[in-house]
Amino acid sequence: MERDERSGLAELAAAVARERVAGLVDVYLERRAEAFWRLAGGRIVARETLLREGAAVRRAGVFASSDGLDRPALAALLGITSRALPPFAAPRFPEAPALEEVAAAWPPSWSGVRWRWSWAAVLARRSAVAIARPELAEVTFRDGRRALACWPALPQPELEAPPPAAPTAARPGPTRALLAPAATAVLIHELVGHPLEGDLLRRGDSPWAGRSGERILAAALSVTDDPTRSDLPGGFSADDEGEAAVARPLVAGGVLVGALADRGAAQALGVPPGNARRAGVHAPPRPRMSNLIVAAAAPLSEPPRGDAEIEVVSVSSGTLEPASGAVLLHVRTAFALRGGRRRQRLAPFTLAGTLASLGRGILATAEPAAAAPEPGWCGKDGEAVPTGAIAPWLLLEGVAVR
Amino acid sequence: MRAADDLLLAALHSAGEALAGRGVRFEAFARLGESLHVQRERDGALERRTSREFGVACRVAGGGRAGFAAASGSGARAGRDAARAALATMRPAPDPLPPRPLLGSSGSALPFRTPDAGRLDALVEDVAGRLAPGHHGLALVQLRGLAGASAAAIATGEGFHALASAGGAVLELLLAPREGPWRHFHFAAAALADLDPAAVAERAREAALLATRGRPPERQLADVILAPAVAAPLVAALAQWLTAAAGPLGAARVARAWRLVDDRPGPAGLLPLPWDGEGLPARRIELIAGGEVRERLATWAEAQGSGGAPGGAVRPSYRHPPHAGPANLVVLPEPALRQEELFARVQRGFYLVVPAGAVRLDAAGGRFELRAAAVAVHDGRAAAAHPLVTVRGSLRRLLGALVATGGDSESFSLACAVTTPSLLLRRLEIA
Repeated sequence: MERDERSGLAELAAAVARERVAGLVDVYLERRAEAFWRLAGGRIVARETLLREGAAVRRAGVFASSDGLDRPALAALLGITSRALPPFAAPRFPEAPALEEVAAAWPPSWSGVRWRWSWAAVLARRSAVAIARPELAEVTFRDGRRALACWPALPQPELEAPPPAAPTAARPGPTRALLAPAATAVLIHELVGHPLEGDLLRRGDSPWAGRSGERILAAALSVTDDPTRSDLPGGFSADDEGEAAVARPLVAGGVLVGALADRGAAQALGVPPGNARRAGVHAPPRPRMSNLIVAAAAPLSEPPRGDAEIEVVSVSSGTLEPASGAVLLHVRTAFALRGGRRRQRLAPFTLAGTLASLGRGILATAEPAAAAPEPGWCGKDGEAVPTGAIAPWLLLEGVAVR
Repeated sequence: MRAADDLLLAALHSAGEALAGRGVRFEAFARLGESLHVQRERDGALERRTSREFGVACRVAGGGRAGFAAASGSGARAGRDAARAALATMRPAPDPLPPRPLLGSSGSALPFRTPDAGRLDALVEDVAGRLAPGHHGLALVQLRGLAGASAAAIATGEGFHALASAGGAVLELLLAPREGPWRHFHFAAAALADLDPAAVAERAREAALLATRGRPPERQLADVILAPAVAAPLVAALAQWLTAAAGPLGAARVARAWRLVDDRPGPAGLLPLPWDGEGLPARRIELIAGGEVRERLATWAEAQGSGGAPGGAVRPSYRHPPHAGPANLVVLPEPALRQEELFARVQRGFYLVVPAGAVRLDAAGGRFELRAAAVAVHDGRAAAAHPLVTVRGSLRRLLGALVATGGDSESFSLACAVTTPSLLLRRLEIA
């Protein structure tokens, strides 16, 4: 969390407070710069730049946002005259880095690389809080999938062996699956992260509502949402309501111990705030995940391939249906296992379970834990925020191939 | 319209000033969007959002180099920022800008009308009141109303300029029947006044209660009737796939019942506009007709490479360069059958009524999967209810599977506008 003395933001916050705008909750200012390099055949064929700036004002029950980061735009949002606001300065848009400086060559399967820088500040309670976030590096692949890391590191997703001409279809029905860290990350994101978002808990729409203190995972897993990990894409110094970033334990030894809350949910649920995130200047803050850190109490030293029927290497996305508690993992890369070895590559399929069956079905965990570069972006109601994860391997039953 | 025009033109002027005399051909595009959003929760709590987006994009080319940049902001500065950034992105590339003689407009811009907040509030409350708890056997979990208007302008260094505007309204409902899965509904229209609260509430209520209990069907190949709400995202996916497909689709078998057009100038469809994303006059583009895939959507630069016709560019935002894609898709029902006539053509199959989640697409493999609430159809009659049926298959197969279309066309605001009737498709895989 930074308190910037030279930008004029402190004076701006004081001036906004003086105006006594009815029902004012907070003011959010943001600048973003992006560079996108289009690649073809391992060469850069085009470069694009995007510069965005805007402001948002939250009042009781009303959220108003506008592109433009100057006094007239902000005054219009607040419903006051621009003369009432002092001059202020957001950091200048930085020059985009050179892609060639971070990688000498790019695989032919990459169709683009995006760099993103952002600066934001929240004005509330007569003070201004500037928010620092890591610069992001996103790789887009020719098949449309994306992977995310923190610049200047470029994401290193699964090994890109050429798929066989005709992958085998997975046999429908119950199975025992071994999930690689990238797949574990998506599972825990859906199984633990989304259901513990304060807005769902508050409305009673989460299956975990009212279950604090109960064991929800059979295995002794611990799950922490940690925005202080600035080496992962979901990091931030303060959340998008200006609360200082804090690592938040959600599950400890399989027992539910926490929740993700913005200020509103925190007040309603009696938990600490600090997990509010905005997908951009035009999206209001909501309780969201940042970086999920999954730790096992007694992991095996290596993945137990001999105990599983399929190995799930990567998942294109996961879905939680809050009302039914159904969790769907859309598997992109997987292998049939026999005798502890990979046999055939499987065609994409869906793994389905329920929160209860998946919670009971974690049989073992294994090293090595790893950062998960995919899917990277977490979508909720059409609003996407960057997220990160570190997760171990999981041996899982209670799931079925669809 | 006047204030919107002034803002757009000031931004284009500032971009033009920054680029004039720099030895480049250029195109500047500015877009203003205003939207209102009202969300009503089941406890009656209301959240209102208003947003105003404004930005400028510049494409530049010269000396065997080309570049693109976009900037948002309050007006003229956005134009200057975009212009300067575009010059800084130039690198060796062919000139992507269409020649001046190709540019034009197929009609006049409609007036820009700021959305009416009072009317949106009243519509949301009216629909919510009709679905109030009590005797319906379901609860309204969430209701969202969205009304928006946009204006866009394009100008080139060779003296072309044109204006366009559009508007639209969407209602989305999340309903929880007393038993069975929650259901999501989407209603779209060109204007708020075109959304009838009584009809919206009644149709959503009926559909939400249609298939609350039942088992998933066995895996099988079966005929399916897709109601317009289920068909629309699949039609959009098909058009996207046809646009992006590498190589000719000559070997694909195409049913003669398909007549899919991108009706860019209108009047059919939800989103007619007078020019495409690069400033070429809007025209009706036949994508599938007469038992074959006809034209592929292309930008001017892509058309130069493929020998096709340009005019298929879209620009949903100022943030990205124009790209080929559908804008205002319309499935023309020929002939338009009544629902009982569609049912009569099904011996054993399913009528998919309410989509459950988004269509899943494997663009590289050309495969889709969709889920929906359905009714089994036996010998032309509704038989059993199935809360969730999964249909999957290849988009290539879809081209050959259409045998009939209904007369119940509806419009949807998806990644593009889609207007489609019910579609009867033969022998799709029920997963």
